[in-house]
Amino acid sequence: MRAVVLGFCLLFALGLQAVKAEELEVKVVEPFVDVHTGPASEFPVFHAVERGETITVLKSHTGWYKVRTRDGKEGWIAKTALAATIDLDNRELLLAESDFAGYQGRTWEFGVFGGRLDDVNAMSVSAAWILTDNIAAEISATQALGDFSDNRMWLVRVQHYTFPEWRFSPYFTLGAGQIRTEPSATLVQSGAESRTNDLLEVGAGVRYYLMRNFVMRAEYKRLTALTERDELEELNQWTLGFSVFF
Amino acid sequence: MDARIFSLFLVGITAATASVDVLAQQTPPPVIEPDLDRREVREADIDSENFEIGVFAGQISIEDFSTSSIVGVTLGYHITENIFAEASYAQADAGQTSFEILSGGAPFLTDDEREYTYYDLSVGYNFNGELFISEGTVFNTDFYLTLGGGSTDFGGESQFTLTLGGGYRVLLTDYFAVRLDVKDHIFSSEIIGEEKDTHNIQYTLGATFFF
Repeated sequence: MRAVVLGFCLLFALGLQAVKAEELEVKVVEPFVDVHTGPASEFPVFHAVERGETITVLKSHTGWYKVRTRDGKEGWIAKTALAATIDLDNRELLLAESDFAGYQGRTWEFGVFGGRLDDVNAMSVSAAWILTDNIAAEISATQALGDFSDNRMWLVRVQHYTFPEWRFSPYFTLGAGQIRTEPSATLVQSGAESRTNDLLEVGAGVRYYLMRNFVMRAEYKRLTALTERDELEELNQWTLGFSVFF
Repeated sequence: MDARIFSLFLVGITAATASVDVLAQQTPPPVIEPDLDRREVREADIDSENFEIGVFAGQISIEDFSTSSIVGVTLGYHITENIFAEASYAQADAGQTSFEILSGGAPFLTDDEREYTYYDLSVGYNFNGELFISEGTVFNTDFYLTLGGGSTDFGGESQFTLTLGGGYRVLLTDYFAVRLDVKDHIFSSEIIGEEKDTHNIQYTLGATFFF
Protein backbone atom coordinates (compact mmCIF):
# COMPACT_ATOMS: atom_id res chain seq x y z
CA MET A 1 0.00 0.00 0.00
CA ARG A 2 2.77 2.37 0.97
CA ALA A 3 4.58 1.55 -2.26
CA VAL A 4 1.46 2.35 -4.24
CA VAL A 5 1.10 5.72 -2.53
CA LEU A 6 4.79 6.48 -3.08
CA GLY A 7 4.49 5.48 -6.72
CA PHE A 8 1.47 7.68 -7.12
CA CYS A 9 3.32 10.64 -5.58
CA LEU A 10 6.29 10.03 -7.87
CA LEU A 11 4.06 9.85 -10.94
CA PHE A 12 2.33 13.00 -9.82
CA ALA A 13 5.65 14.82 -9.38
CA LEU A 14 6.83 13.59 -12.78
CA GLY A 15 3.52 14.70 -14.25
CA LEU A 16 4.00 18.15 -12.79
CA GLN A 17 7.49 18.25 -14.31
CA ALA A 18 6.19 17.12 -17.67
CA VAL A 19 3.49 19.74 -17.87
CA LYS A 20 6.00 22.46 -17.04
CA ALA A 21 5.33 23.88 -20.27
CA GLU A 22 6.01 25.84 -23.35
CA GLU A 23 5.65 29.57 -23.11
CA LEU A 24 4.46 31.61 -26.03
CA GLU A 25 5.41 35.23 -26.71
CA VAL A 26 2.92 37.38 -28.56
CA LYS A 27 2.59 41.04 -29.51
CA VAL A 28 -0.59 43.04 -28.99
CA VAL A 29 -1.96 44.70 -32.15
CA GLU A 30 -5.32 45.86 -30.81
CA PRO A 31 -5.37 49.31 -29.15
CA PHE A 32 -5.30 47.55 -25.75
CA VAL A 33 -6.00 44.23 -24.02
CA ASP A 34 -7.70 44.00 -20.61
CA VAL A 35 -5.94 41.87 -18.01
CA HIS A 36 -8.23 40.33 -15.38
CA THR A 37 -7.27 39.04 -11.93
CA GLY A 38 -8.82 35.63 -12.63
CA PRO A 39 -9.93 33.36 -15.45
CA ALA A 40 -13.50 34.65 -15.88
CA SER A 41 -15.09 37.81 -17.18
CA GLU A 42 -16.45 38.59 -13.70
CA PHE A 43 -12.96 39.10 -12.25
CA PRO A 44 -11.88 42.77 -12.18
CA VAL A 45 -9.58 44.30 -14.79
CA PHE A 46 -6.41 45.50 -13.05
CA HIS A 47 -4.16 46.29 -15.99
CA ALA A 48 -4.25 47.03 -19.71
CA VAL A 49 -1.57 45.95 -22.18
CA GLU A 50 -1.04 48.55 -24.91
CA ARG A 51 -0.56 48.10 -28.64
CA GLY A 52 2.94 46.94 -29.50
CA GLU A 53 3.73 45.48 -26.10
CA THR A 54 4.95 41.90 -25.90
CA ILE A 55 3.35 39.48 -23.46
CA THR A 56 4.19 35.90 -22.50
CA VAL A 57 1.36 33.36 -22.47
CA LEU A 58 1.86 30.92 -19.60
CA LYS A 59 -1.18 28.63 -19.44
CA SER A 60 -4.88 28.37 -20.18
CA HIS A 61 -8.00 27.60 -18.18
CA THR A 62 -11.23 27.13 -20.15
CA GLY A 63 -11.43 30.17 -22.47
CA TRP A 64 -8.81 32.22 -20.60
CA TYR A 65 -5.04 32.60 -20.83
CA LYS A 66 -2.64 33.54 -18.09
CA VAL A 67 -0.11 36.08 -19.33
CA ARG A 68 2.95 37.88 -17.98
CA THR A 69 3.74 41.39 -19.11
CA ARG A 70 7.26 42.71 -19.65
CA ASP A 71 7.22 44.39 -16.25
CA GLY A 72 6.26 41.16 -14.51
CA LYS A 73 2.52 41.62 -13.99
CA GLU A 74 0.58 38.36 -14.24
CA GLY A 75 -3.11 38.14 -15.07
CA TRP A 76 -5.69 36.55 -17.35
CA ILE A 77 -6.87 37.59 -20.82
CA ALA A 78 -9.81 36.24 -22.79
CA LYS A 79 -9.34 33.88 -25.72
CA THR A 80 -10.79 36.48 -28.09
CA ALA A 81 -8.09 38.92 -26.94
CA LEU A 82 -5.34 36.36 -27.53
CA ALA A 83 -6.75 35.59 -30.97
CA ALA A 84 -6.21 39.27 -31.87
CA THR A 85 -2.46 39.17 -31.21
CA ILE A 86 0.43 38.27 -33.53
CA ASP A 87 3.56 36.27 -32.86
CA LEU A 88 7.05 37.76 -32.92
CA ASP A 89 7.43 36.95 -36.62
CA ASN A 90 4.36 39.13 -37.25
CA ARG A 91 2.18 36.19 -38.16
CA GLU A 92 -1.35 35.63 -37.01
CA LEU A 93 -1.64 33.33 -34.04
CA LEU A 94 -2.94 29.86 -34.66
CA LEU A 95 -5.49 29.08 -31.96
CA ALA A 96 -6.67 25.53 -31.47
CA GLU A 97 -9.84 25.11 -33.45
CA SER A 98 -12.82 24.61 -31.21
CA ASP A 99 -15.43 25.15 -33.86
CA PHE A 100 -17.22 22.97 -36.39
CA ALA A 101 -14.00 22.42 -38.36
CA GLY A 102 -12.35 21.18 -35.17
CA TYR A 103 -15.33 18.93 -34.58
CA GLN A 104 -14.87 17.33 -37.97
CA GLY A 105 -11.22 16.68 -37.22
CA ARG A 106 -11.74 15.18 -33.78
CA THR A 107 -9.98 12.00 -32.63
CA TRP A 108 -11.46 11.18 -29.21
CA GLU A 109 -14.91 11.59 -27.81
CA PHE A 110 -16.11 10.94 -24.24
CA GLY A 111 -19.77 10.92 -23.30
CA VAL A 112 -22.20 10.72 -20.41
CA PHE A 113 -25.77 9.59 -20.96
CA GLY A 114 -28.99 9.13 -19.05
CA GLY A 115 -32.08 7.26 -20.15
CA ARG A 116 -34.30 4.24 -19.81
CA LEU A 117 -33.52 0.57 -20.26
CA ASP A 118 -36.99 -0.89 -20.75
CA ASP A 119 -38.74 0.67 -17.72
CA VAL A 120 -35.69 1.29 -15.53
CA ASN A 121 -33.43 4.35 -15.16
CA ALA A 122 -30.05 3.80 -16.78
CA MET A 123 -26.80 5.75 -16.85
CA SER A 124 -23.94 5.24 -19.30
CA VAL A 125 -20.45 6.48 -19.98
CA SER A 126 -18.65 6.03 -23.28
CA ALA A 127 -15.33 6.58 -24.99
CA ALA A 128 -14.99 6.65 -28.76
CA TRP A 129 -12.04 6.68 -31.14
CA ILE A 130 -12.87 8.35 -34.45
CA LEU A 131 -11.25 6.21 -37.13
CA THR A 132 -12.39 7.98 -40.30
CA ASP A 133 -14.87 10.73 -41.16
CA ASN A 134 -17.60 8.10 -41.20
CA ILE A 135 -16.58 5.41 -38.75
CA ALA A 136 -15.90 5.39 -35.02
CA ALA A 137 -15.19 2.63 -32.52
CA GLU A 138 -16.78 3.08 -29.11
CA ILE A 139 -16.86 1.31 -25.78
CA SER A 140 -19.65 2.01 -23.33
CA ALA A 141 -20.62 0.93 -19.82
CA THR A 142 -24.15 1.17 -18.46
CA GLN A 143 -25.73 0.69 -15.08
CA ALA A 144 -29.49 0.33 -14.81
CA LEU A 145 -30.98 0.16 -11.34
CA GLY A 146 -34.48 -1.25 -11.04
CA ASP A 147 -36.68 -2.26 -8.16
CA PHE A 148 -35.95 -5.93 -8.78
CA SER A 149 -32.44 -6.02 -10.17
CA ASP A 150 -29.19 -4.20 -10.77
CA ASN A 151 -28.08 -4.50 -14.41
CA ARG A 152 -24.60 -3.64 -15.58
CA MET A 153 -23.58 -3.94 -19.19
CA TRP A 154 -20.68 -3.12 -21.45
CA LEU A 155 -20.63 -2.88 -25.22
CA VAL A 156 -18.03 -2.54 -27.93
CA ARG A 157 -19.66 -0.70 -30.79
CA VAL A 158 -18.99 0.47 -34.31
CA GLN A 159 -20.73 3.67 -35.34
CA HIS A 160 -21.35 4.90 -38.84
CA TYR A 161 -21.86 8.63 -39.37
CA THR A 162 -23.78 8.79 -42.61
CA PHE A 163 -23.45 12.54 -43.14
CA PRO A 164 -20.40 13.68 -41.13
CA GLU A 165 -20.52 17.12 -42.76
CA TRP A 166 -23.91 17.91 -41.23
CA ARG A 167 -24.17 19.72 -37.91
CA PHE A 168 -27.29 17.70 -37.11
CA SER A 169 -26.49 14.23 -38.29
CA PRO A 170 -27.89 10.69 -37.99
CA TYR A 171 -25.77 7.65 -37.21
CA PHE A 172 -26.12 3.90 -36.95
CA THR A 173 -24.45 1.46 -34.61
CA LEU A 174 -23.74 -2.24 -34.23
CA GLY A 175 -22.28 -3.70 -31.09
CA ALA A 176 -21.62 -6.66 -28.87
CA GLY A 177 -20.96 -7.04 -25.17
CA GLN A 178 -22.27 -8.51 -21.96
CA ILE A 179 -24.99 -7.82 -19.43
CA ARG A 180 -24.83 -8.85 -15.77
CA THR A 181 -28.08 -8.95 -13.84
CA GLU A 182 -28.05 -9.12 -10.06
CA PRO A 183 -31.42 -9.51 -8.37
CA SER A 184 -32.06 -7.14 -5.47
CA ALA A 185 -31.63 -8.37 -1.91
CA THR A 186 -35.29 -9.19 -1.32
CA LEU A 187 -35.34 -11.43 -4.40
CA VAL A 188 -32.08 -13.14 -3.43
CA GLN A 189 -33.88 -14.34 -0.33
CA SER A 190 -36.50 -15.90 -2.58
CA GLY A 191 -33.87 -17.81 -4.55
CA ALA A 192 -33.12 -15.66 -7.62
CA GLU A 193 -29.52 -15.77 -8.85
CA SER A 194 -27.31 -13.30 -10.62
CA ARG A 195 -26.44 -14.12 -14.22
CA THR A 196 -24.24 -12.86 -17.06
CA ASN A 197 -25.32 -13.05 -20.69
CA ASP A 198 -23.80 -12.09 -24.00
CA LEU A 199 -25.42 -9.16 -25.68
CA LEU A 200 -25.90 -8.00 -29.27
CA GLU A 201 -26.90 -4.49 -30.15
CA VAL A 202 -28.26 -2.59 -33.12
CA GLY A 203 -29.07 1.08 -32.82
CA ALA A 204 -29.64 4.44 -34.43
CA GLY A 205 -29.23 7.97 -33.19
CA VAL A 206 -28.77 11.60 -33.99
CA ARG A 207 -25.97 13.91 -32.93
CA TYR A 208 -25.90 17.67 -32.87
CA TYR A 209 -22.76 19.79 -32.64
CA LEU A 210 -23.55 22.30 -29.88
CA MET A 211 -20.55 24.60 -29.43
CA ARG A 212 -16.84 24.54 -28.59
CA ASN A 213 -16.09 20.85 -28.09
CA PHE A 214 -19.55 19.59 -27.21
CA VAL A 215 -21.94 17.29 -28.95
CA MET A 216 -25.45 16.32 -27.92
CA ARG A 217 -26.56 12.78 -28.68
CA ALA A 218 -29.91 10.99 -28.64
CA GLU A 219 -29.97 7.28 -29.32
CA TYR A 220 -32.16 4.20 -29.49
CA LYS A 221 -30.71 0.72 -29.04
CA ARG A 222 -32.31 -2.66 -29.51
CA LEU A 223 -30.48 -5.17 -27.31
CA THR A 224 -30.67 -8.93 -27.59
CA ALA A 225 -29.45 -10.93 -24.60
CA LEU A 226 -28.40 -14.47 -25.54
CA THR A 227 -29.91 -16.36 -22.61
CA GLU A 228 -29.85 -20.08 -21.98
CA ARG A 229 -33.59 -20.15 -22.04
CA ASP A 230 -35.50 -21.00 -25.21
CA GLU A 231 -36.47 -17.47 -26.02
CA LEU A 232 -34.07 -14.56 -26.41
CA GLU A 233 -34.49 -11.56 -24.14
CA GLU A 234 -35.10 -8.32 -26.03
CA LEU A 235 -34.41 -4.95 -24.37
CA ASN A 236 -34.98 -1.41 -25.58
CA GLN A 237 -32.75 1.43 -24.46
CA TRP A 238 -33.30 5.14 -25.02
CA THR A 239 -30.56 7.57 -24.10
CA LEU A 240 -29.89 11.27 -24.22
CA GLY A 241 -26.51 12.75 -23.37
CA PHE A 242 -23.53 14.91 -24.08
CA SER A 243 -20.08 14.14 -25.26
CA VAL A 244 -16.92 16.17 -25.29
CA PHE A 245 -14.32 15.69 -28.04
CA PHE A 246 -10.60 16.34 -28.36
CA MET B 1 73.04 31.37 -19.33
CA ASP B 2 69.93 29.60 -18.31
CA ALA B 3 68.21 32.89 -17.66
CA ARG B 4 69.05 34.12 -21.16
CA ILE B 5 67.65 31.00 -22.79
CA PHE B 6 64.56 31.29 -20.66
CA SER B 7 64.03 34.95 -21.59
CA LEU B 8 64.54 34.10 -25.28
CA PHE B 9 62.00 31.36 -24.87
CA LEU B 10 59.57 33.84 -23.33
CA VAL B 11 60.15 36.34 -26.13
CA GLY B 12 59.55 33.59 -28.63
CA ILE B 13 56.26 32.63 -27.03
CA THR B 14 55.13 36.25 -26.88
CA ALA B 15 56.00 36.74 -30.51
CA ALA B 16 54.18 33.59 -31.48
CA THR B 17 50.99 34.56 -29.63
CA ALA B 18 51.20 38.06 -31.06
CA SER B 19 51.48 36.72 -34.58
CA VAL B 20 48.51 34.43 -33.94
CA ASP B 21 46.61 37.49 -32.77
CA VAL B 22 47.53 39.32 -35.93
CA LEU B 23 46.45 36.35 -38.00
CA ALA B 24 43.13 36.27 -36.20
CA GLN B 25 42.61 39.92 -36.89
CA GLN B 26 43.43 39.51 -40.54
CA THR B 27 40.92 36.75 -41.27
CA PRO B 28 37.35 38.09 -40.95
CA PRO B 29 35.45 36.51 -38.05
CA PRO B 30 33.09 33.77 -39.28
CA VAL B 31 29.48 34.87 -39.50
CA ILE B 32 27.70 33.12 -36.67
CA GLU B 33 23.96 32.85 -36.92
CA PRO B 34 22.51 34.16 -33.66
CA ASP B 35 21.40 31.06 -31.85
CA LEU B 36 17.90 32.28 -30.98
CA ASP B 37 15.63 29.59 -29.76
CA ARG B 38 12.83 30.16 -32.27
CA ARG B 39 11.04 26.91 -31.81
CA GLU B 40 7.57 26.91 -33.22
CA VAL B 41 5.40 27.24 -30.12
CA ARG B 42 1.77 27.13 -30.97
CA GLU B 43 -1.23 27.85 -28.82
CA ALA B 44 -1.90 24.11 -28.65
CA ASP B 45 1.43 23.59 -26.85
CA ILE B 46 0.44 25.83 -23.96
CA ASP B 47 -0.33 24.03 -20.74
CA SER B 48 -4.09 23.92 -20.33
CA GLU B 49 -5.49 23.36 -16.87
CA ASN B 50 -9.08 22.27 -17.37
CA PHE B 51 -9.07 19.00 -15.41
CA GLU B 52 -9.40 18.99 -11.64
CA ILE B 53 -8.42 15.93 -9.60
CA GLY B 54 -8.92 15.74 -5.88
CA VAL B 55 -9.47 13.90 -2.63
CA PHE B 56 -11.93 14.70 0.12
CA ALA B 57 -12.84 13.57 3.61
CA GLY B 58 -15.62 14.43 5.99
CA GLN B 59 -18.78 13.18 7.62
CA ILE B 60 -21.89 11.62 6.15
CA SER B 61 -25.16 11.17 7.93
CA ILE B 62 -26.61 7.91 6.60
CA GLU B 63 -30.33 7.96 7.26
CA ASP B 64 -31.24 5.59 10.14
CA PHE B 65 -27.61 4.46 10.46
CA SER B 66 -26.04 7.35 12.39
CA THR B 67 -23.12 9.43 11.14
CA SER B 68 -19.84 8.09 9.77
CA SER B 69 -16.66 9.46 8.33
CA ILE B 70 -16.34 9.32 4.55
CA VAL B 71 -13.41 9.59 2.14
CA GLY B 72 -13.51 9.91 -1.62
CA VAL B 73 -11.95 11.06 -4.87
CA THR B 74 -13.14 13.42 -7.60
CA LEU B 75 -12.27 14.05 -11.21
CA GLY B 76 -13.69 17.13 -12.87
CA TYR B 77 -13.54 18.85 -16.22
CA HIS B 78 -14.10 22.59 -16.53
CA ILE B 79 -16.06 23.29 -19.67
CA THR B 80 -16.44 27.06 -19.44
CA GLU B 81 -15.53 29.60 -16.79
CA ASN B 82 -18.90 28.77 -15.18
CA ILE B 83 -19.81 25.19 -16.04
CA PHE B 84 -18.00 22.04 -14.97
CA ALA B 85 -18.70 18.32 -14.89
CA GLU B 86 -17.46 16.10 -12.12
CA ALA B 87 -17.37 12.41 -11.25
CA SER B 88 -16.93 11.35 -7.65
CA TYR B 89 -16.54 8.10 -5.77
CA ALA B 90 -16.58 7.73 -2.01
CA GLN B 91 -16.76 5.16 0.74
CA ALA B 92 -18.02 5.07 4.32
CA ASP B 93 -18.84 2.43 6.92
CA ALA B 94 -22.36 2.88 8.23
CA GLY B 95 -22.95 2.80 11.97
CA GLN B 96 -25.81 1.21 13.88
CA THR B 97 -29.46 2.18 13.94
CA SER B 98 -30.89 3.51 17.19
CA PHE B 99 -32.90 0.31 17.49
CA GLU B 100 -29.78 -1.88 17.26
CA ILE B 101 -28.06 0.19 19.94
CA LEU B 102 -31.05 0.33 22.31
CA SER B 103 -32.12 -3.28 21.98
CA GLY B 104 -28.59 -4.66 21.92
CA GLY B 105 -30.03 -7.39 19.71
CA ALA B 106 -29.12 -8.87 16.38
CA PRO B 107 -27.67 -6.43 13.84
CA PHE B 108 -29.74 -5.51 10.77
CA LEU B 109 -26.85 -5.76 8.36
CA THR B 110 -23.63 -7.71 8.02
CA ASP B 111 -20.33 -5.84 8.00
CA ASP B 112 -20.16 -6.12 4.20
CA GLU B 113 -23.64 -4.71 3.81
CA ARG B 114 -22.77 -1.84 6.12
CA GLU B 115 -20.18 -0.61 3.61
CA TYR B 116 -21.63 2.47 1.97
CA THR B 117 -20.14 3.38 -1.42
CA TYR B 118 -21.41 5.64 -4.15
CA TYR B 119 -20.41 7.16 -7.43
CA ASP B 120 -22.05 10.09 -9.14
CA LEU B 121 -21.71 12.26 -12.20
CA SER B 122 -22.61 15.88 -11.60
CA VAL B 123 -22.83 19.11 -13.51
CA GLY B 124 -21.88 22.23 -11.60
CA TYR B 125 -22.24 25.96 -12.03
CA ASN B 126 -19.55 28.30 -10.67
CA PHE B 127 -20.26 31.74 -9.30
CA ASN B 128 -16.82 33.30 -9.49
CA GLY B 129 -15.62 35.53 -6.70
CA GLU B 130 -12.78 36.66 -4.54
CA LEU B 131 -11.90 36.12 -0.91
CA PHE B 132 -10.13 38.98 0.84
CA ILE B 133 -8.07 37.62 3.75
CA SER B 134 -6.34 40.90 4.45
CA GLU B 135 -5.66 44.10 2.55
CA GLY B 136 -2.89 42.57 0.49
CA THR B 137 -3.99 38.93 0.36
CA VAL B 138 -6.73 37.90 -2.02
CA PHE B 139 -7.70 34.50 -3.42
CA ASN B 140 -9.94 33.69 -6.35
CA THR B 141 -12.91 31.57 -5.32
CA ASP B 142 -15.95 29.82 -6.73
CA PHE B 143 -19.21 29.23 -5.01
CA TYR B 144 -20.90 26.42 -6.93
CA LEU B 145 -24.08 24.40 -7.10
CA THR B 146 -24.16 20.87 -8.47
CA LEU B 147 -26.80 18.45 -9.69
CA GLY B 148 -26.08 14.86 -10.55
CA GLY B 149 -27.05 11.24 -10.64
CA GLY B 150 -25.34 8.04 -9.74
CA SER B 151 -25.55 4.83 -7.81
CA THR B 152 -25.26 3.99 -4.12
CA ASP B 153 -24.29 0.53 -2.87
CA PHE B 154 -25.62 0.01 0.62
CA GLY B 155 -27.31 -2.80 2.53
CA GLY B 156 -26.61 -5.30 -0.26
CA GLU B 157 -28.40 -3.19 -2.86
CA SER B 158 -27.58 -0.67 -5.56
CA GLN B 159 -29.94 2.26 -5.81
CA PHE B 160 -30.22 5.08 -8.30
CA THR B 161 -29.19 8.21 -6.42
CA LEU B 162 -29.95 11.85 -7.05
CA THR B 163 -27.25 14.19 -5.78
CA LEU B 164 -27.74 17.86 -4.91
CA GLY B 165 -24.79 19.84 -3.74
CA GLY B 166 -23.20 23.17 -3.07
CA GLY B 167 -19.66 24.13 -2.30
CA TYR B 168 -16.94 26.71 -2.02
CA ARG B 169 -13.58 26.44 -3.76
CA VAL B 170 -10.67 28.66 -2.74
CA LEU B 171 -7.83 28.72 -5.26
CA LEU B 172 -4.66 29.08 -3.21
CA THR B 173 -2.66 29.07 -6.46
CA ASP B 174 -3.72 28.74 -10.12
CA TYR B 175 -3.62 24.97 -9.84
CA PHE B 176 -4.21 24.11 -6.18
CA ALA B 177 -7.52 24.61 -4.42
CA VAL B 178 -9.19 23.69 -1.15
CA ARG B 179 -12.90 22.92 -1.21
CA LEU B 180 -15.74 22.72 1.23
CA ASP B 181 -18.64 20.64 -0.09
CA VAL B 182 -22.11 19.85 1.14
CA LYS B 183 -24.04 17.17 -0.75
CA ASP B 184 -27.35 15.44 -0.27
CA HIS B 185 -27.67 11.94 -1.75
CA ILE B 186 -31.30 10.99 -2.21
CA PHE B 187 -32.28 7.40 -2.93
CA SER B 188 -35.14 5.12 -2.09
CA SER B 189 -34.46 2.36 0.39
CA GLU B 190 -36.39 -0.40 2.04
CA ILE B 191 -33.71 -1.62 4.43
CA ILE B 192 -35.72 -0.57 7.47
CA GLY B 193 -38.90 -2.13 6.14
CA GLU B 194 -41.21 0.02 4.11
CA GLU B 195 -39.80 1.81 1.05
CA LYS B 196 -38.96 5.48 1.54
CA ASP B 197 -36.77 8.21 0.09
CA THR B 198 -33.69 8.62 2.25
CA HIS B 199 -31.59 11.78 2.49
CA ASN B 200 -27.92 11.22 3.20
CA ILE B 201 -26.20 14.51 3.79
CA GLN B 202 -22.45 14.79 3.76
CA TYR B 203 -20.11 17.66 4.36
CA THR B 204 -16.49 17.29 3.35
CA LEU B 205 -13.25 19.20 3.05
CA GLY B 206 -11.14 18.50 -0.02
CA ALA B 207 -7.97 19.43 -1.86
CA THR B 208 -7.78 19.50 -5.66
CA PHE B 209 -5.16 19.99 -8.35
CA PHE B 210 -5.83 21.44 -11.77
CA PHE B 211 -3.90 19.88 -14.64
